[in-house]
This record gives sequence, C-alpha cells and structure tokens, in this order.
Amino acid sequence: MHILFLSCLKATELIEKKFHFKLTIKEKLQLKMHKMMCEACTKYEKHSILIEKGISNIQKSETPSIDVEVLKTKISKKIEEFNEN
Amino acid sequence: MENENLKNWVNEFTNELYKWAYYKTSSTETSEDLVQETFLAAAQKMNSFKGDSSPKTWLFAILNHKIIDHYRKSVYKPVAMEANTISAFFDVDGSWQQEKRPKDWEDDETHLLDDTDFQKVLQKCLDALPKQWNMCVKLKYLTEKSGDEICQELGITPTNYWQIVHRAKLQLRNCVENNWFKN
Repeated sequence: MHILFLSCLKATELIEKKFHFKLTIKEKLQLKMHKMMCEACTKYEKHSILIEKGISNIQKSETPSIDVEVLKTKISKKIEEFNEN
Repeated sequence: MENENLKNWVNEFTNELYKWAYYKTSSTETSEDLVQETFLAAAQKMNSFKGDSSPKTWLFAILNHKIIDHYRKSVYKPVAMEANTISAFFDVDGSWQQEKRPKDWEDDETHLLDDTDFQKVLQKCLDALPKQWNMCVKLKYLTEKSGDEICQELGITPTNYWQIVHRAKLQLRNCVENNWFKN
C-alpha cells in the first residue's frame, strides 16, 4: 500500500489521537489525504468533535447538591471511631 | 485539642472539598468517599501538620492525592482491549462495516449541544461504556491536563491511552447515532 494511504481503522485512530497528542507531519498528511477520499471518516471526525464538546459541557455542569450536614456527621463519626481505636 | 481542630475543619471545609472532588470525578458517591478518606488520612497524620500551611491547603493537598489515586485505580488495571470491538466496526482490511458507517446527522450539528435531550442521550451512552473506558474519555476534561501528563500520572503508555479512547469513541458515536437519530 502507498505510504500515504490509510485504512478507515487507522484514520479514525489518528482522529482520536489528535485530540490528545500532536500528530507527526506524516500522520497529518495521511489523515488529510484519507479524508479527501472518505466521506464516512469525514463524518466520523465531525461527530467525534461534537461528542468531545458535549462531554466537556457535561463536566462543566452544576454539582448536584447533596446533604452536606449528613456527610459531615458521617465523617465526624468515623473520626471518633478512629480516635477510639 | 487536635481532635477539636479536626472537628471544626469537618464543619468548615467539607462542602468545598466535596465540590472540588465532584468537579474532578463527576460522581457524588466517589466524591463523598474521597472527602471522608481525606479527613481520615488527616486524622492519622494530624501530628505531622505543623501549621506551615493553612489547614485548608493541607486538606486540599490530601484530597488531590486521593483523586489521582482514584484515577489510577480506575484506569491502571489492565484494560481489556476487546479485539471484537474493532471487528464490529471494521472488516479485515480496516474498512467500515457497512451498517456501522457514520451517517449524516444534521446540517447544523452545533445546536445539538444546547439540546437537553441530546445531552441525556450522550450521558446515557457514556454511562453504558465499560467503566475504565468511560474514565479515559472523561479524563481530559476532568483533569484539564495534556495527554502526556495524564499518561504519566496513570502510568500507561500514550498508545494504550488513545487506543482505549478510540474504542470508546467508536461505541459512543454509534450509540448516540442509534439513540438520537432513529427516533
């Protein structure tokens, strides 16, 4: 296979790698070439970017409130137990 | 006297510690456990607290160690790579399996992010992932660290890390497509 041609499996791997690590120049070229020819992987990348943003939004959303007083009591009790032993 | 101090700190800092733990783990259950462990560790180490730093700084430092430990435990166990995930999506030549080829979603997909129903589907699909995969996908946002730093802290190789993420994302994308667009 030509050095610049990737399978869809490898192309999607590079799409995911790119979110976390810098691609080499060769990898960048391979991915670009592949996307020019492959509609499915182009869509995959679009969806994947959207999902990344969605996950990021979920993480930023509000902390669900818990009853902190209950937690405090629980912890205080544990500390007393610890001190008695 | 020391115990009195610690009791006061439980009162004073539990809320803030909990919020931080939640921000970093996005699980109420895990957060409660981590805060509790933090205070128990503090009780054990009370003698070594010299008052050089504020109690708050000291407690947060303990909590941050606990959080990293939690990530490490969730991810470091050898992660099953499940070769059949790949074969479910790609044939032997690495081409998309016909029924798994990504389909068109919508022309303007960005508005989906504001749609609460879409968010619910995404959350549901995240929850459906194997636990370690779920953690790997979220870590970037939980820790706000680079891939290299995450790998270093977890003691896994970059290749291992993004291959897990790749498998997780293949399932996640497919799950979202099936649950959102077939309605």
